[in-house]
Amino acid sequence: MSARARVRPALPATLVLGLVLLGLNLAMALAPGLIAPYDPNAFDYNALGQAPSLAHPFGTDNFGRDVLSRVIHAYTVDMQIAVFATIGPFLAGTLIGALVGYAGGLAETVLGRIVDAVITFPFLVLVIAIVAVLGPGLSNMYIAVGIVDWVFYARLIAAEMKVQQRLDYADAGRAMGYSPARIIFRHLLPNAITPALVYWMTDMALAILLGSSLGYLGLGAQPPTPEWGVQIADGKNFMTTAWWMSVFPGIAIVLTGLGFSLTGDGLAELLRVKK
Amino acid sequence: MSLLPYLLRRLAQLVPTLLFIAVVVFLLVRLLPGDPASAMLGDRARDADVARINHDLGLDKPLVIQFLYFLKAVVTGDLGTSITLKLPVTTLIAQRVPVTLLLTAMSAVIAVVLALPLAFLSALRRGKEADVVIRGVFQVGLSMPVFYLGLVLLTVFGARLGWFPVGGYGTGLADHLYHLFLPALTLALSLSAVLMRNLRAAIIAVVGAEYVDFARAKGLRARTVMLRHVLRNALISTVTLFGLSVGTLLGGAGVTETVFAIPGAGRLMIDSIYGRDYPVVQGMTLALAVLVSVTFLLTDILQASLDPRVKR
Amino acid sequence: MKLFQAAALSAALLVSASPAAMAVERGGVMTYGRYADSLFLDPVLNDANVDIWVLSNLYDTLLLPTDDGQGVQPGLATAWKISDDAKTVTLTMRDGIKFSDGTPITTEDVAWSLTRAANPKNGIWNFLVESIDKVTATDAKTVTITLKHPDPAILSALTVFNTAVLPEKAFEASPGDTDEAKAKAFSEHPIGSGPFMLQSWTRGQEMKLVKNPYYWDKGADGQPLPYLDGVTFEVIPDDATRILKLQSGDLDGAEFIPYARVSELKGDPKLNMMLYPSTRVEYVTLNVRPQVAGKDNPLSNEKVRQALNYATNKEAIIQIVTHGVGKPLTSFMSSATPLHTGDKPLYPYDLAKAKALLKEAGFANGFSTSLLVLAGNQDELGIATALQQMWGQVGVKLELSQVDNASRTQQYRDGTFSMRLAAWTDDIADPNEITSYFAYSPTIGALHSGWKNAEVDTLYQASQSEMDRTKRAADYAKIQEIFNATGPTLPLYETPYPVALAKKVNGFLQIPLGNNIFRATWLQK
Repeated sequence: MSARARVRPALPATLVLGLVLLGLNLAMALAPGLIAPYDPNAFDYNALGQAPSLAHPFGTDNFGRDVLSRVIHAYTVDMQIAVFATIGPFLAGTLIGALVGYAGGLAETVLGRIVDAVITFPFLVLVIAIVAVLGPGLSNMYIAVGIVDWVFYARLIAAEMKVQQRLDYADAGRAMGYSPARIIFRHLLPNAITPALVYWMTDMALAILLGSSLGYLGLGAQPPTPEWGVQIADGKNFMTTAWWMSVFPGIAIVLTGLGFSLTGDGLAELLRVKK
Repeated sequence: MSLLPYLLRRLAQLVPTLLFIAVVVFLLVRLLPGDPASAMLGDRARDADVARINHDLGLDKPLVIQFLYFLKAVVTGDLGTSITLKLPVTTLIAQRVPVTLLLTAMSAVIAVVLALPLAFLSALRRGKEADVVIRGVFQVGLSMPVFYLGLVLLTVFGARLGWFPVGGYGTGLADHLYHLFLPALTLALSLSAVLMRNLRAAIIAVVGAEYVDFARAKGLRARTVMLRHVLRNALISTVTLFGLSVGTLLGGAGVTETVFAIPGAGRLMIDSIYGRDYPVVQGMTLALAVLVSVTFLLTDILQASLDPRVKR
Repeated sequence: MKLFQAAALSAALLVSASPAAMAVERGGVMTYGRYADSLFLDPVLNDANVDIWVLSNLYDTLLLPTDDGQGVQPGLATAWKISDDAKTVTLTMRDGIKFSDGTPITTEDVAWSLTRAANPKNGIWNFLVESIDKVTATDAKTVTITLKHPDPAILSALTVFNTAVLPEKAFEASPGDTDEAKAKAFSEHPIGSGPFMLQSWTRGQEMKLVKNPYYWDKGADGQPLPYLDGVTFEVIPDDATRILKLQSGDLDGAEFIPYARVSELKGDPKLNMMLYPSTRVEYVTLNVRPQVAGKDNPLSNEKVRQALNYATNKEAIIQIVTHGVGKPLTSFMSSATPLHTGDKPLYPYDLAKAKALLKEAGFANGFSTSLLVLAGNQDELGIATALQQMWGQVGVKLELSQVDNASRTQQYRDGTFSMRLAAWTDDIADPNEITSYFAYSPTIGALHSGWKNAEVDTLYQASQSEMDRTKRAADYAKIQEIFNATGPTLPLYETPYPVALAKKVNGFLQIPLGNNIFRATWLQK
């Protein structure tokens, strides 16, 4: 309450930088056609695996496709992977974790067992089963990730909620007769959410990486869709002869991950200031 | 709080979890298209051969009967025989699981050793050069798929510099550890990036909290404040995350094991799923489940000991 | 001696860098990097190339394939005679031959081994010797095989891994109630008569072979083969890691070099990049049933299949996927398969013709179809991506679906797929195996495609007992003509086996059937 009265400080620098990076990403994701110099799927038999040059600043791949254009067009897909694969688990896990962490007792034991079962189940069996039954493609990857990933958030939040509950302000809220919902969502959660929020931003980069590992196994984005992870997997055989096929998509992942992580840290800082 | 009853209770809770996993994995492998015989015989199999082998494996019996056989086998400690490798599953578990356990344990240690001090440095020098460099390097580590990072490390530290062997597992414990260093580092980098980022944020949050100011005001030395208050409180979520991540690592080391030619459980699991080797997938899943549950148990105990306010 | 000459000749041909006159050196262990471990070392019950391609080092056969993979030469048997009615084969055994445990190889062992191989209840290879009716140990030196019908491929069949000779007593003494249980126990500690024997085997990691002191053949120096003290197979599934290990000197040889790396390794002064002639063919199988999944199937139309063939720029695919290592197919079978015909690449790239054929077939605007690709297989993915782009130019929209092998095999066997990519390697130096699977519908329905041609079926049956080589060649010429024009495949390319060897390795050979032969391999000190 006092925060509202206080003059809000300028946005944290990390947040600004993170948002700028994400803004650039978003621009690429929304209008890749305006930025990319070539059709990302056009073959050029006369330019197979060419090193970076003026005509192709990031070189060409083994089909003679322009790597720069493929990296740019991949923004659309990879931003989707980063967000769609993780937002469900983040929201569901946070909600479940908050309720369980507040309730404790039996609910917590049950959550513990579910977490055990989900984490111990071999992820690859799950992915292959889902792909085999529903067919390969990104949406099925989201499902597979969703089934497993929410437990990370739930466990993080539940553990943190337990800590927050023992602090004075929670007791104060209870003493003032606030409803559990108000205590959970207005008081405890904002203080408990930082680890989950920070993890979410990391998780987005992890989701792109998972897309890559699945691409290595042939279970990720399907050709000819350009996707960084698959580009790296495809470029692995050419690491010694055509490094540009895999290095540039890798840089794109680094920059995107950086955008998310700076934004996450900045948000955490902002929340703290509010508190 | 006494530990023994708690431990026993937790171990008892393991039974229903394992039973649940057993049912799910049993059904899921059978839900997959294809069967062991056609996976094994490949494109050239004739119908009669496929039918004969599936019959010999008892796969033409009703699911319930097959499941009862499986349960009976589990209870008697005999997990059946691998369809493709023709070896008892228990033998395979004894051969492969320790390899993966060693790999995972090593990468967990490396991840913690990297993440802990660097998170402190990064948090306390927030916004300074050290912070920027540390975060940048970890971001790169977090952005490299293991099959790529592994190959880079193998090329540089294995083939070029000759500091480490180029893949393989070696013989004898010391040799195993030497062989496993690069793969463990490969697995550790993204894990330590996750831990580092989490811990960094937690430290920053805790340092700003009232009770640290209060402790300082009480005149405690900066070091004591750091160790007793900041680390303890900051580590809670990191330990949670660590337990979960190590759990997934145990079952997810397959790609790393493939790149480094390590005969571990992860690689066998991939081969067995692709080969529809039902007994191996079932047995390995259960074996890994026990290990992961024990990991969780350990992290829970660690967490409870870190935060006296979390009561059982 | 004859054997050595052949080996030396091939070494001179293949390892052009090593002077043919160089004196052999004995000793040493060769370490060879494989992409996958063996699974089951039983000659009859195994079912995978990872077994087949190393079995001949452990188990010897009555006859041996020649180095070009096309003919036969003496093995455990020194002479053979086919009777005038072609229904009896009489073989004379070599003197003084022994198993690796020192016990003599008897004609009873031979009769028992061949009977086991021909038993239709055993394994999936018995069809190669389905003509065998009875095998008799006539006397201590003579084995008589009675055939159900004349079999022009019987001698070739006696070189194939599944006809290897095993010690009957030791096998039957292995624990277990069934043949398979005994085979499991026996193959953990196998006894054969190949140039090497199994010393130790750490599954998924390494297999150590040591020289068999009782091996019958002699080397160039007059002493018993093999030259090597042993061979160690290391399992390194990742291609790039396998190459790194070879380059760093941990390995003396590595198989399955990715085509993308071939020209790079050719330039490595420490290595010999070998491309062994092979029978491997890469192709697309098309489902030609009138309906697939309840919908009319454009691929059932011959003209559509021809159009897709013409719309496929095979030269471009060979460049993109094999980096120029492959060559276009001139028939569905490889040019290294006996009785192969054809000297021109099938269906040269011709977009105009493709469009015209599609129009004739009533698909002027193209159609949509799908292709099954083996998940994670970079070669198949490359081909598929190229096909998708090439066929797009004639309006055919190709959807790719990457699935794991077992899922693909299931759709294949059920006949519910539209198209799939596939590769084939012969196991016998005869065209009958590939033709049986590709064209002769009773075997597996012509690659499960639903294709059936009565004339081909009749020709194939006739050729299976046709002892006149000229007539048999004519049968096969006709079969290939019909199949290549109307069949359910889209031939892509044939490729050699890419194996990289350290410079010191001499006399190693991978024959066109895939067998890795270490019999006359030696390491220069």
